[in-house]
Amino acid sequence: MDHRARVYDSVLELLPSEENPSPLVRVRRLNPCPDTFALWAKLEWMNPFGSVKDRAAWFLLRQLEEEGKLDNGRGVVEPTSGNTGISLAALASLRGHRMLAVVPDRVPLEKKLLLRIAGAELEVVSDELCPSPGMGDGSINLAKTYAKAQSDRWAMPNQYENEANVEAHVVTTGPEIWRQTGGEVTHVFLSLGTCGTVTGLGRFFRERKPAGKETKVKLIAVQPSEGHDVPGLRNISQLEVSKLFDPELIDEVVEIDYELAYERAVELARTEGLLAGPSAGLIYEGARRVVERDRIGCGVMIFPDSVFKYTSNFVRHLPALAEGVEPGTGGKR
Amino acid sequence: MTATDGYAHPEVLVSTDWVKEHLGEPGIELVEIDVDTQAYAAGHVPGAVGWNWQSQLQDQRRRDILSKEEFERLASESGLSPDDTVILYGDNNNWFAAYGFWLFKIYGHPDVRLMDGGRVKWLNEDDKELTPEPPEVERTDYVARGEHPELRAHLADVFAVLERRDHNLVDVRSPDEFTGKIIAPPGLPETAQRAGHIPGATNVPWSTAVAPDATFKPADELRKIYVDGAGVDAGRPTIAYCRIGERSSHTWFVLKYLLGLENVRNYDGSWTEYGNLIGVPIER
Repeated sequence: MDHRARVYDSVLELLPSEENPSPLVRVRRLNPCPDTFALWAKLEWMNPFGSVKDRAAWFLLRQLEEEGKLDNGRGVVEPTSGNTGISLAALASLRGHRMLAVVPDRVPLEKKLLLRIAGAELEVVSDELCPSPGMGDGSINLAKTYAKAQSDRWAMPNQYENEANVEAHVVTTGPEIWRQTGGEVTHVFLSLGTCGTVTGLGRFFRERKPAGKETKVKLIAVQPSEGHDVPGLRNISQLEVSKLFDPELIDEVVEIDYELAYERAVELARTEGLLAGPSAGLIYEGARRVVERDRIGCGVMIFPDSVFKYTSNFVRHLPALAEGVEPGTGGKR
Repeated sequence: MTATDGYAHPEVLVSTDWVKEHLGEPGIELVEIDVDTQAYAAGHVPGAVGWNWQSQLQDQRRRDILSKEEFERLASESGLSPDDTVILYGDNNNWFAAYGFWLFKIYGHPDVRLMDGGRVKWLNEDDKELTPEPPEVERTDYVARGEHPELRAHLADVFAVLERRDHNLVDVRSPDEFTGKIIAPPGLPETAQRAGHIPGATNVPWSTAVAPDATFKPADELRKIYVDGAGVDAGRPTIAYCRIGERSSHTWFVLKYLLGLENVRNYDGSWTEYGNLIGVPIER
């Protein structure tokens, strides 16, 4: 394995680590305080299967393998809104395991097809028929049903409850950021989903103070407003399902009107050349507000995914994007 | 103290532990009722037959509940007898199981009960088994023990209530549906032309009756919600409705069996029927 020449024996060697971190790219034009607050985007879509979820998926799969839970042809079953499933499916295929992805119906078509292409079987659930206390999440419950009723056929890593999801970020994401910023990071901006990232980074940065600073690195969670349509993310009110959520580790929660996720993602593409997905757009908007307020610092935004899987969501929120895509419907030049 | 203390009819609820203890006993039959049978097929309580609410519990031609003959045929094919203790459970906090309960009562089944907490509670308890194996069913000849149309409200009953204003009308949909902000919950078909609620209705979302572990809340809490909070007058007859009649059967169960109100009917025509009518009054 040679990270300098980028020549590899297997795609597994591309998985991120302190030696092979996902890239950190400086955001300048969209930074309200470019001279006093360095703002960096950590491009998780540069991971081999295309999102931040590569980290958790690898740790989850490796744990199942090590515990012998995938012996005797047993496959992996997991509820997923897409990215964990895509990473898991690709990794499972590579390692010779079957994979069943239980997917909420609201997941964009692009992601469902990607799961199929990566080798997963799909079970689509019409989720959130009427969100209510105690009902849990249809896809989580159905995956649990498979793992319980057909335990000879399926094992469930359960990203919502499995510490391996947290460990992935303690071992990889945290040390990467620390090394890439030379220990100068003061703010980390991220979103909440399974909470593996936030809890893992929270534990890694708990005792760390940026160089020359008295206060520890601040973890800022950016969440979409309720009723949101930002795939992969959860508002705190929806976090009951994640057993990995530990509010003590979060220094601040910034809530952003979810429509802005789409607008900001387009700005990132058009201004910074970063083809960011809606979750990255949302995190950027949260970071922008904090930079404007704090004015001095060094911030890292975890950009979970790029734009490619979400074009249909973009059109839903920014219908003007679809103008001119049919012959003869273009505007005036 | 047990959780069922204080309910008017505690005998219609069984716990998951009770079901586990009585699995396989003759005379005790389990039916899982879901909006569809995807989850049932993946795994269910051993011995339970699975009913699909959409395709098996409604008349497939006109909009109606199963006729008595159709219900008898379904019960016979499922190996049920009128003497059985039938335990119902299902997804979505027993919405559809509650609808099934209502249907069993309409056709006079003496001993039908809900498994408190539904399939989600069973699923999340480590000592409870699930199986994908369909049960062995021996066909029976189920003959309904009667008919109880008085458990059901029709449109004419709702009109009569509008005139006399002598009923509690409980709209169990979400506040956004009740106030007319939306016609149907996000992602569900808008089956009515207009949004709002039936004049005089009070809004108590069905989920208010459910605890975080998916079981029904204790009787004193339910009384506070419906009687003290929403002003449901226990001395008056009550009609519950929602969008298509399934969420309201859940509330119908709460009001009639847990709180013991005398005269409670489920208006299964619900907003899908009322919200499409020409010239009727609507409140928002």
